[in-house]
Amino acid sequence: MTAVSPAMTSTAAAGPITLMLPPIPAMARVGRLTASSIASLSDMSVDDIDDIKIAVSEMITVLIQSGSRTTITLRFETTATEFAVEASTPTVSNDLGRNDLALAIAVLDAVADEHHVASTDDRIMIRIVKRLAPIPPDPSSMTRS
Amino acid sequence: MEEVGKNESIRVVLDDGTVIAEGDIDLAGGPLLDAAISRVENAHPLIIDLAAVEFIDSSGLRSLLAASRRAESRGTRVVLRRPSSGVVRLLTITGTTEQFDVEEASQA
Repeated sequence: MTAVSPAMTSTAAAGPITLMLPPIPAMARVGRLTASSIASLSDMSVDDIDDIKIAVSEMITVLIQSGSRTTITLRFETTATEFAVEASTPTVSNDLGRNDLALAIAVLDAVADEHHVASTDDRIMIRIVKRLAPIPPDPSSMTRS
Repeated sequence: MEEVGKNESIRVVLDDGTVIAEGDIDLAGGPLLDAAISRVENAHPLIIDLAAVEFIDSSGLRSLLAASRRAESRGTRVVLRRPSSGVVRLLTITGTTEQFDVEEASQA
């Protein structure tokens, strides 16, 4: 039998996960279900995972509507303190259609601890961060002094 | 009961003038919901049953808000019947609850 250390099983140790999606509406569901699966490996609460699903759906929707109809790239990264998702896609202009974006941004404000939307002449990028609750110390590892 | 549309996100049916949405109201589901609403656009009030909605995002909310604006222009309101917890949460965080008459919150 092979012993597996906690560090080997954590998503933080696994490194970033990248998902590439075609820019079609049905992929919003694929993106949020993938995000939910990855987030569930990070000891997040059900409510926090629901927040991640909403955030990823908003990100994909904005990129489908504002991008140049080419591949959307999602990158998930977990550290000891946060769960971050970065989504990007090529675009032909840096006009994000701010009025249409307002509702999506209001939602990201509510469900993410941080969010950042950036656009250049050839790419749109959205990044969100959900902070992880600190993990309480393992009582079995504590010693009396 | 008549099925108006179905895809990978959502199933929408009409039942005695009430629009019933089941599944996810997102970028893929929103257009089917729009199509169903347009079938009963002159209802007074316009009732949309959301008890079986498992997920909604801002693109789905846009469909509901557009229906609300059109209803108000006709002097009526949109009733959201038994909205699931996800719907209630999105209405709350976007400050749009007042745009609708909310009836019988679902336990879902």
